[in-house]
Amino acid sequence: MGISGRHIGAFAVLAGLGTAPAFAYLDPATGSMIIQAVIGAIAGGLLYMKLFMHKVKALFSRKNSDSASDSAEN
Amino acid sequence: MISPDPGSFRDPAGRVYIRDDRVLRAVYEMGRENFEAADKAGVLDALIAKDLLIGATKTRSKLVKELDPEPCHVLSHPLIPFISYPYEWTFSQLKAAALLHLELHLEALKLGFTLCDATAYNVQFQGTTPVFIDHLSIVPYEEGEIWAGHRQFCMQFLNPLILWAKRGVVPNSWYRGSVEGIPPEDLAAVLKWRDKLSFTVLAHVVTQAKAHSHALKTETKERVVSARKLPKRSLVAMLEGLKDYIRGLQLPGGRSVWSEYADDNSYNADKRAEKHEFVAAMASKVKPKMMFDIGCNSGDFTATALEAGAKSVVAFDFDYGALEQAYSRFSQSKQSVMPLWLDAANPSPAQGWANAERSSLNDRGNVDAMVALAVIHHIAIGRNVPLDMTVDWLIGLAPQGVIEFPNKDDVMVRKLLANRKDIFPDYTEEAFLHHVGERAKIVKQKKLGEDGRLIVRYRRN
Repeated sequence: MGISGRHIGAFAVLAGLGTAPAFAYLDPATGSMIIQAVIGAIAGGLLYMKLFMHKVKALFSRKNSDSASDSAEN
Repeated sequence: MISPDPGSFRDPAGRVYIRDDRVLRAVYEMGRENFEAADKAGVLDALIAKDLLIGATKTRSKLVKELDPEPCHVLSHPLIPFISYPYEWTFSQLKAAALLHLELHLEALKLGFTLCDATAYNVQFQGTTPVFIDHLSIVPYEEGEIWAGHRQFCMQFLNPLILWAKRGVVPNSWYRGSVEGIPPEDLAAVLKWRDKLSFTVLAHVVTQAKAHSHALKTETKERVVSARKLPKRSLVAMLEGLKDYIRGLQLPGGRSVWSEYADDNSYNADKRAEKHEFVAAMASKVKPKMMFDIGCNSGDFTATALEAGAKSVVAFDFDYGALEQAYSRFSQSKQSVMPLWLDAANPSPAQGWANAERSSLNDRGNVDAMVALAVIHHIAIGRNVPLDMTVDWLIGLAPQGVIEFPNKDDVMVRKLLANRKDIFPDYTEEAFLHHVGERAKIVKQKKLGEDGRLIVRYRRN
């Protein structure tokens, strides 16, 4: 999968919604800076989905264990 | 005037000084504001309490007067028994260090702080447990700031782990050579397409590599560096994502590869028992605070030495499989053992800035004793190092110790000579004893079984 300069440019525009000062003794490296907002946003989405799936699973497993204990009582 | 540790100069916020059995960290004006903020907020104490960060107490050391410029604060830390570098770690150690780094970062963020860098050299091991050692890396977090250490984290933790897990290539020689780790541009070039079928690899390796190369080209025309905004929830998600991904990384073939490891199977039980006794006698007599086990295998004799009174052991081997076994074994037993990779014919050199930033193996040890069992023939015959030079190196490692000498009748030595001309007329028990005797007092010597290996205990004069 190739990523062209134009795509990187698009990432940069997306990422450049705002600026904040970043003073570090370490040079964060431009490439890393350009992509972080995009990676961060996608990672945020993935984490949200993961938590959501956990909740769904928990809901089902609770129901299952409820019905299991119901049947045990019967 | 006391001079600072040659590896502590990169961040002008402070320097580290080693004095006797303490580590002193001077905080300079440049780091004052951040340190005082962290101190006031209690973030350092909170991270120390969670065993993520090494302990620290503020001290009014006499050292303050010896330094120019005078530091605004001095912290005192316990000494790490043995400093190790990421290019000497096993896969599991690098993975544990990466996870510790991410955990520490996430905990700091909860308290409104972040890390200003992500160097793997800020993680050290106490036995099998990693701990973060740089208190001045913890700085106040400002909403929206980018992760300054992102590229460094990738180069020093993520990329070597990916290379190891996905390609089965041990990254340590590369890491040792470059010191700063493996750049995404280089890793992307050696990964196969199927390795890239994950968000983490695609984002942190492939995209970063492209963005980096692109930025290098455009920067000559115009410098595009305006700091981008990264909301805190995105930073947290990125760190959580990396944690999940790294936690899931395994060596190719999984752990089962090592489970069939035979531990020196050329030896029968009686001889092994005698050897254990011999090592135990030395350890109980010397009670070494720090012992080297050269050629530790999965750590049987390290365990014996610990039982007999050794306090802490650095267990070296050339075989990553054996080291993984040792790491897993001593992680479970929670004993103070640090397995490390070593090529005895090419130990870690002094390197980095002024050839002093990272110390050589020989300069790091404050070693009281060593054992070198079933190892001398690998150096003297396997690597063509003359026997006197081999003995010299081994005895130079520690003032007291145990060395085992398998002669040419030994099955393991015969194996080494099977496909080559025997150019080692001087590889004999007599010559070995002579070389040891020239450098140290032979306290005890024994044959393991009637026709078995010679084992000696020495004490340097």
